[in-house]
Amino acid sequence: MSNNKLFTTPIDANVPVVNELVFEQINSQITDQLNTGVLVLDADFNIVLWNRFLQVHTDKITDNIIGKSIFTAFPELPQRWLSRKLSSVLQLNTPSFCSWQQRHHLFELPHTRPITTDSEFMAQNCTFLPIESDTRDRHICILIEDVTDACHYQMQLQKTLAEIAQISRIDGLTQIYNRRHWQDSLEQEYAKARRHDKKLSLIMLDLDHFKLLNDNYGHQGGDMVLIEVSALISALLRVEDTFGRYGGEEFAIILPETDSAGAMELAHRICRVIATTPLTYNSQVINVTVSLGVAQLSCNESNYEELITQADSALYQAKSQGRNQVCSAPELVS
Amino acid sequence: MNEFHLTEDQQDCLQELINIAMGQASDQLARYLDTFVYLKVPSIESVEASELMITLSQRKNTIAVVSQGFFGYEGIRGESLLIYQEEDSGRIADLLGYEPDELSQDEQLIDISSILTTTFLNVFAQQIDNQLSYNAPKLLPNVQEILSEHLQQMPFTWNLALKVNINYQVTDYSFNCNMIILIPETAITNIKYVLDRVLEEF
Repeated sequence: MSNNKLFTTPIDANVPVVNELVFEQINSQITDQLNTGVLVLDADFNIVLWNRFLQVHTDKITDNIIGKSIFTAFPELPQRWLSRKLSSVLQLNTPSFCSWQQRHHLFELPHTRPITTDSEFMAQNCTFLPIESDTRDRHICILIEDVTDACHYQMQLQKTLAEIAQISRIDGLTQIYNRRHWQDSLEQEYAKARRHDKKLSLIMLDLDHFKLLNDNYGHQGGDMVLIEVSALISALLRVEDTFGRYGGEEFAIILPETDSAGAMELAHRICRVIATTPLTYNSQVINVTVSLGVAQLSCNESNYEELITQADSALYQAKSQGRNQVCSAPELVS
Repeated sequence: MNEFHLTEDQQDCLQELINIAMGQASDQLARYLDTFVYLKVPSIESVEASELMITLSQRKNTIAVVSQGFFGYEGIRGESLLIYQEEDSGRIADLLGYEPDELSQDEQLIDISSILTTTFLNVFAQQIDNQLSYNAPKLLPNVQEILSEHLQQMPFTWNLALKVNINYQVTDYSFNCNMIILIPETAITNIKYVLDRVLEEF
């Protein structure tokens, strides 16, 4: 009933606009000029019709296609999954879809942008349509759209966005996290520790006499020291720790699920490793040391900034006691 | 009460059409899924745009929304949203008869959504002598932030939304989701016209 509405205009008019033969010729020419693949299957998934688009792009001979099972003609198709999908079209009499975003392609067709894209096959959006005819035979029409361009640009965009997101988190010189990302991480870890009543510790550390280093070896020497020290410390951390550059020569480490004893142990190890690892710059040996302050989250802090303040004052204490050492924030008694 | 509100008769008529459509659709689905499907009587309500926004933004554990546009004769068109909660999506591959490694979780959600939407709306369209075409279903990314944004960026303004709660229970496991059908203002006028015609034919 409602199907006939598709052809309402030419059929219902008392005087046909064009005769049936011309009408058929128009239809078949449109099908062949379409920049979309058209494939029609019978209820047993044998191919009954294909258009020029597929003929040119598959480089297959019509005789090897028509009357053959779609899975024989296109052995690359995932048979089990696609059979189930095709059955749903016939049984439920509903269209079905397959997007490049979930499956890059179904049919292995070469595309027309060979250089710029990363897949050798055409990205496709496929639509499966139930076709009813006057006879009781049921058919499925598969439309195959070339979306290689859209796919390519989308991938480029995603890659660029990921790069930008990464760049916005990283300190350009040392390649560790920058202050903003580090602080965001601390805010999250603070909330997590409070919510789940977990331990959380912080290490703030500062290179000793950094200004002197810059004066003696120039800023490039200073930069090298920042890079090397960052790398030395990174190698001592667990994956769950967050290491960031807090300021010029000041660094900070977030230690989730770690008490002050664990944090002190790590701080001492960092202090020792930096002091005993000579760095070389322009064939000169540079010895550097760091001072560290450690603080553990207690019930006293009401926000993450207070934890930074605690670690910072412990760091100040380490500095004033002669540098190259670790101090822990005093446990406040509530 | 404004021009987009359905009269009581129109509301009853629509409810009846949807009940019939849902019944037939679930019968087809049960046969396709080749398993016993127990379907509760669908709860249907029409909600106002502002109300819907509040309801949707209050749901905390929504993990996925699949949207699919539809359009037919007589200006009937709209968009269906299928909304899944965290606990709904565990065994969709089983339900669809796929091997779990044949397709991603995203594709499973898209496939089941498309089947639910088109099966239901096709039968509904038959009831009102119409025929619908569909856009490819789309999984909305980053559901939490995106849903209200998506609703605001719809290509049409809509005042009335039909909310159809579908609850499928299959012998071995349960499957739940909500289907929300958004209908633009212009299409509501057309639906009212169609409903009046159906009422006259009774």
